[in-house]
Amino acid sequence: MTEQRKSLTLKVPVLTRVEGEGALDLRIVDGNIEELRLRIFEPPRFFEKFLEGRHYSEVPDIVARICGICPVAYQMTAVQALEKLFGVEVSPWVHDMRRVFYCGEWIQSHALHIHLLAAPDFFGCNSAIELARIHPDVVRRGLRLQELGNEIMALFGARSVHPVGLRVGGFHHAPALSQVKILRQKLMDAIPEAEALVRWTSSIPLPADSQPFVSVALKHDSTYAIETGFIAASDGFLVDSQEYDAHFAEYQQPYSTALFSAYHQQPYLVGPLARLNLSQNQLPENIRKLIAETGLVFPNGNVFISMAARAVEILFALQEAARLLGNYAVPDSRHVSVRPRAGIAFGATEAPRGLLWHRYEVDEAGLIKNARIVPPTSQNQARIEEDLRLSLLNFGLNQPDDALRLHCEKVIRNYDPCISCATHFLRVNVERSSS
Amino acid sequence: MKKPRIIGIGSPSGDDQAGWLVVDTMKSRLPPEVELIQLDRPGSALIPLLENTSHVILIDAMQGGGQPGDIHHFINDEWENYGQGLSSHGLGVFDALMLAKELDCLPETLDLYGIEIGSALPGDPASEAIISAAEQLAERITQTWQHVLN
Repeated sequence: MTEQRKSLTLKVPVLTRVEGEGALDLRIVDGNIEELRLRIFEPPRFFEKFLEGRHYSEVPDIVARICGICPVAYQMTAVQALEKLFGVEVSPWVHDMRRVFYCGEWIQSHALHIHLLAAPDFFGCNSAIELARIHPDVVRRGLRLQELGNEIMALFGARSVHPVGLRVGGFHHAPALSQVKILRQKLMDAIPEAEALVRWTSSIPLPADSQPFVSVALKHDSTYAIETGFIAASDGFLVDSQEYDAHFAEYQQPYSTALFSAYHQQPYLVGPLARLNLSQNQLPENIRKLIAETGLVFPNGNVFISMAARAVEILFALQEAARLLGNYAVPDSRHVSVRPRAGIAFGATEAPRGLLWHRYEVDEAGLIKNARIVPPTSQNQARIEEDLRLSLLNFGLNQPDDALRLHCEKVIRNYDPCISCATHFLRVNVERSSS
Repeated sequence: MKKPRIIGIGSPSGDDQAGWLVVDTMKSRLPPEVELIQLDRPGSALIPLLENTSHVILIDAMQGGGQPGDIHHFINDEWENYGQGLSSHGLGVFDALMLAKELDCLPETLDLYGIEIGSALPGDPASEAIISAAEQLAERITQTWQHVLN
């Protein structure tokens, strides 16, 4: 393009290095963004409908199938919602081991995103394979961390993809002490690797792109919220998960098979950066010290910092899992008995990509009458569109098409969108024209 | 020579079960200490399975324009020329192998077998051509590596 061209249509027909299928259409007329659409066209998957008429005990295994990367998030949110409705109190062992299980998913998902999806963008690489040519040790370290996350998931869930270990009331299985000891040692050994990853991600030069937005995440009084907490926003808002509907509204856009979501009529951010923006003070002291040493600052309005936020959370999840497994003993009972109760179940946890909210209406026999699942990527959709608009203006609309396309993809990948979960996703189309 | 690690990649969808069927057939014919692994879209998790062994036999479904049931054999890095058309698990397995190569994680010997498949609809059984090809390939691998497998 030439500097005289003020209008352009940019189409990224398939966005790569995201989970699932989507596209971006950008139309620039007389140097202004006339249209910007994040189009998720992966077909709807109807999981909420599949759940209708199913027994509550089947829910964890069905919802695990929503995502191959974050099945534990779906399972945990579902079982906790149902347990709350049924008045089930699980044992401290179950509480702790569920948090460990969830830490495994954070480590696996974040390591995958940093090394295979996002980092290549910052080194002029088209793929992790190209990144491995210039930073083999970094990629090897990333794969080791990812594998460690998978090992935690497999320890409690029998397998890392679509695990089967969770049930309403507890776990189906308790790992042997000998297995736990071996894995815990590996986690301890990996902590220096995760610290090095935090230093590496925080040393990568990022575009200066601070934006105002509301961060939404679970918040807990005494811990860094993963599986439990109140829904909080950076404007001071704090509610229980059952109040979600009164403040967050889902809406449809004709170009997307995923629902959009608004908080008090405005876009909002969920995910690792939102969590750190709200809960950085809940991190252990050594991690807060490392954050300060590396020059990272939270709260932060630059979404490009999300990769470093994921690295911080990998370190936290490793430490937390190792801590909780420190006094591991095989329990007398892996689960408590459950008696269903009719009513409405609400649950919210922090999936690797952000807040995940579930609502189930259940009858006396424990059959699901209807279900609603609001995944993090749908919640981030409106924020991604808003971010793209602001970020593109900051970047300069007169940049060459290829540079615009790459910048858009980079922005979108900061959110680690999981289109399959949201469809509910990326191709980019830019159109420039004169009026 | 050490025993090879044998990995069958597949899914429960029609002919895409090819890699799993080969491993299933071999399970009954080989001593239990032979590492027989069945995977579904392993992605980068395939890489650690290529390490700490000198020989990996990898079996996957492929669509290369041949007839369902045709068996292709790629030794060491011959698969690279095949690009993304090698496997029905497409980018996953190919990318994982490319990444493993860049990271110097490939075993000394990598035998990659591709079975040409037809339809791969969820819930469908594998076609006769695939069942027969899986049987043939299981027999071929068992015979070829008999001196180290048994």
